[in-house]
Amino acid sequence: MTDAPMVDAPMVDALAIRDMSAGYGEAIVLRNLSLRVPRTDIVAVLGKNGMGKSTLLKSIMGYLPKATGAIALDGHDVTQVPPHRMARRGVSYIAQEKALFQDLTVEENIRLALARGSDRAAAMATVERCFPFLLKRLRQQAGTLSGGEQKMLLVARALAVRARLLLIDEITEGLQPSVVTTLAQVIRDERARFGTTILLIEQNIGFALEVADRYAVLDRGEIVDGGPTAGATARVAGYLSV
Amino acid sequence: MISQLLDIVTSAAILYAIAVGLLLVFGVLKIINFAHGGLMTLGGYAALVTTQFGLNPWLAIPAAALVGAVVGMVIERVVVRPLYVRPLDAILATWGLGIIIGQLITIGFGRGVQFVQSPLSGTLEILGEGYSQYRLVLVLIAAALGLALSLLLHGTRLGLDTRAVIMNEDLARGLGINSTLVRFITFAIGSGLAAVAGALITPLSSVDPNMGVPWLVNAFMLVLVSGASLVSLLVACLVLGGAQVLISSLVSPVLGGITIAVLAAIILRVRPAGFARG
Amino acid sequence: MAEAAGAQGAAITRRGVPIPLLVLLAAIIAVAAGPYVLDTYSVNVLVRSLFYAAVALTVDLLWGYLGILTFGQSAFFGIGAYAVGLISTHVGFTPGLAALSLLAGIAASMLVAGIVGWLAFFYGASALYASVISLVLPIVVVQLLFAGGNFTGSSSGLSGFDSFDDVSVETWFWIAGAFLIVVAGCAWRFVASDAGRVLIAVRENEQRCQYLGLDTPRLKIIAFVATAAICAAAGYGFACYTTVVSPEQAGFVFGTELVIWVALGGRGTILGPVLGAVLIDYESAQLSGDYPFVWQLIIGSVFVAVIVLFPRGLLPLIGDALRYIGPKVRPAVPPELVELPMHVVAGTTGPALAIHGVAKHFGSLKVLDGIDVSAAAGELVSLVGPNGAGKTTLIRCIADGSERSAGRVAINGHEIGGMSPDRCVRLGVGRKFQMANVFDTLTVAECLQMARIRHGFPSVLRRASRIGLPRPALHVIRTTGLDHALMTPARLLSHGMKQALELAMVLALEPSVLLLDEPTAGLTKAERTLIGGILVDLAATERLCIVLVEHDLDFVREISSRVIVLHQGRIVLDGSVDDVVNSDLVKQVYAGGGHGVGAAA
Repeated sequence: MTDAPMVDAPMVDALAIRDMSAGYGEAIVLRNLSLRVPRTDIVAVLGKNGMGKSTLLKSIMGYLPKATGAIALDGHDVTQVPPHRMARRGVSYIAQEKALFQDLTVEENIRLALARGSDRAAAMATVERCFPFLLKRLRQQAGTLSGGEQKMLLVARALAVRARLLLIDEITEGLQPSVVTTLAQVIRDERARFGTTILLIEQNIGFALEVADRYAVLDRGEIVDGGPTAGATARVAGYLSV
Repeated sequence: MISQLLDIVTSAAILYAIAVGLLLVFGVLKIINFAHGGLMTLGGYAALVTTQFGLNPWLAIPAAALVGAVVGMVIERVVVRPLYVRPLDAILATWGLGIIIGQLITIGFGRGVQFVQSPLSGTLEILGEGYSQYRLVLVLIAAALGLALSLLLHGTRLGLDTRAVIMNEDLARGLGINSTLVRFITFAIGSGLAAVAGALITPLSSVDPNMGVPWLVNAFMLVLVSGASLVSLLVACLVLGGAQVLISSLVSPVLGGITIAVLAAIILRVRPAGFARG
Repeated sequence: MAEAAGAQGAAITRRGVPIPLLVLLAAIIAVAAGPYVLDTYSVNVLVRSLFYAAVALTVDLLWGYLGILTFGQSAFFGIGAYAVGLISTHVGFTPGLAALSLLAGIAASMLVAGIVGWLAFFYGASALYASVISLVLPIVVVQLLFAGGNFTGSSSGLSGFDSFDDVSVETWFWIAGAFLIVVAGCAWRFVASDAGRVLIAVRENEQRCQYLGLDTPRLKIIAFVATAAICAAAGYGFACYTTVVSPEQAGFVFGTELVIWVALGGRGTILGPVLGAVLIDYESAQLSGDYPFVWQLIIGSVFVAVIVLFPRGLLPLIGDALRYIGPKVRPAVPPELVELPMHVVAGTTGPALAIHGVAKHFGSLKVLDGIDVSAAAGELVSLVGPNGAGKTTLIRCIADGSERSAGRVAINGHEIGGMSPDRCVRLGVGRKFQMANVFDTLTVAECLQMARIRHGFPSVLRRASRIGLPRPALHVIRTTGLDHALMTPARLLSHGMKQALELAMVLALEPSVLLLDEPTAGLTKAERTLIGGILVDLAATERLCIVLVEHDLDFVREISSRVIVLHQGRIVLDGSVDDVVNSDLVKQVYAGGGHGVGAAA
């Protein structure tokens, strides 16, 4: 595979997944999945637990080997690229669990995501704009933040590096409604400011439909439905009901 | 009494200097480097060559560091890297490397015992008792090594990356840290420290092609009871090294020789975390 | 390495060419003819090599088959040698004392092995820790020998003591050769037997063994003690032959040499380590006179290369090449599956599973808090809840007494206290893991045999021709078609078949409380329907109490008799399927992130 752009830049999707199958060893969790995320869009992938949502993000990020298919980032093939190179290409990944170094300070957690020689002042300015309270807690261990504060730190860290593509795995799980509202606000604002492309995975339909421009429903490893989020609440709720 | 206390402190310092490189490699790479003994021997011979050239004996330390680090880089790249997923095999392969280093030195320098000029001879009066100046300086050097490593880990970007890899390698990779490179550098530093330790102990005894091996098991046991913490390694060296000095002088030197290994084994049986927190 | 062990089992069944018999015959001829064709120096050296090979073989049994990397077998060799050295030097040497010193050496080494085994193998001990202990053992033994002064001869050891003086070198060669052949023959027979499979199963997946009711630390201690006896006997023979004992014989360097021979020859092959030991030790003696350092350098380099490139060792490489040009191994005849009469449980009263106030914390983080559940035989209880709700943790707390931080768990009225998983299994717990947890290199039939191990330890001599299984296990095997794949290694099964195999293995335990962690994860629709039907049937007809963690709520709705919803470590709802479906609370938990649940609970 070459690294050259396949198409002229403006037409190219920020993220294009074609016929990807992936999983853990012999357990294939995703089957021939295709998904496109246009530049500056926010796409929410919805689905019940155990349907392969987290596997999708881990596969994109390069943590899992792909059995078939290809992934392109801004038209460049990144199917075999390892996670640290994905990060250096401007992909930020917020995992659902263990996404912070609990024993490191807030400041160290942010600094780790910044490449050597990047503009630290600008990064801290972003943190301050999004979640000003973090600046007062820079020397605190990340593990001592509350659950909601930790999630805010995760978002701040991802935005501070000016990611081209942001992958977010169930950021709202277990959060207070007020925190969810704040996160939605910040994510939309920063997207408007920097044009960040975002792929997020959610079970919280309210949050997902409020933040995202488009949605896709993942069921047993396959995308079964998708479209613009506007007016889709009832339709989407059907997929997630007990 | 005073000299016994100084024996405990200086023995702990020597153990610390020897074990610290092993600890670094174990902490980051999660493998036991059994070539550590061979790398110490290499450091001892680096010191020998340095003094044979008539250079200042203190230069032996940087010379040993350089030799150890370069050899460590080669070892990591060729032998250790494929074995991260097979930690027990890594023990065997690095033990084999120790054999290779020992035999190469034998071929190059002969199997005989040789002596290295001490950079510092004579004694220092402490509360009326004379004590070896070099052993006292070793305490300062060991402390300096510990502090330098601490500073590296806690004061530099490389150190931050390294700590991140220790805590959660997957997350570190996701943030753009090249963990393969971090492992490579860590192994090189650990090997350099092993060689420095070898150079430091040569003036106390002598060099021979297997000089590192007797130290290996003690260093290894100290690392296991310490987890991956520089502070708990210091505690382990003081407690177990102290016990060794006391049992050697009060009971029998032979039993003193197995004190560290036996105590460490029992500590790990009772409390698998050893001296580490948690 | 595991492949080598498996291939050997197949080699035994190859018709026309019974390879083990051929090797045995060749070995007997070689030993018998040796003294006639070799010069005295070579015979002299080979006596030592043959005794060493028997010790290397014990390293192979422990490391290659059971997975314990040990550097300490030299210590037992030394103990056997010193037993005769000490008694002959200080007491005398008569036929009676000769026999006594053999027994004393064996008894002493078994005692030491028992103590060291207790130290090295316990529930939750790491493989690295056991290796470390095996490393400390020879160091301690050598230091004690040093400390023995004139009694042990300190660093120079004992020499020139009385022994079997009128036995010629040639006779010693035959004695050592016969000893090696007997030990190797027994070992070969043993590892090919059903009991030998148990060693491989423990190496392969110790956790699964424990959850099949096997006390693995005890098994390891027994193996360690048994091999210590063999080493001591070899040490005794060697000391009688040379009339020299020295601390090096018990030392750590010899211990590592043994490991090198085994690794080069091929761990887990019996023959490889024997050949490795004999050839390398013999060549060392021949070459080390002329090129001492170069020879060691070559051995060290080859050793490193083999560990990195061919971890299975050299013999399996040759074996692969021969198999490539030779005839294909014919598959063995699969054992017959037999239905066992159902074990009737004497009328237990009260719930099959009773949980009171169970909690689990990691530091200040509460993963489970105040869990009370009681479930009767015949119930099919589904545990549902978002990720991180504590479902799998709860399953763990039921199956392993050391998991919970507080509270009580009782199975059929018996408190589990702090029991390890194998003891919980004996109370009636059967646990199926989330990711299919079987023995990858064993065949389906062998996996099933392993699951019956607590009902009778298998033969140390032969392979069973039939496997008795309870009806539910047989039902799963037959409905999924696993009965047509009995000789297939488990790793070659599809994901769904692996899940079914594990379920059959757990059912073969005849559990009364069946714990299933996401049994349908990664299965196709058809497979899920099949498993669901089987579970419903098990609860209804076999009166099993089934507790199941499940994400797929459609599946839960179809099969459950009761649903428990966990959220943030607490039970928020415990009721029928209808209760859960109609609960706003549950919708909130799933769709809204679950705020306000604490107040509602």
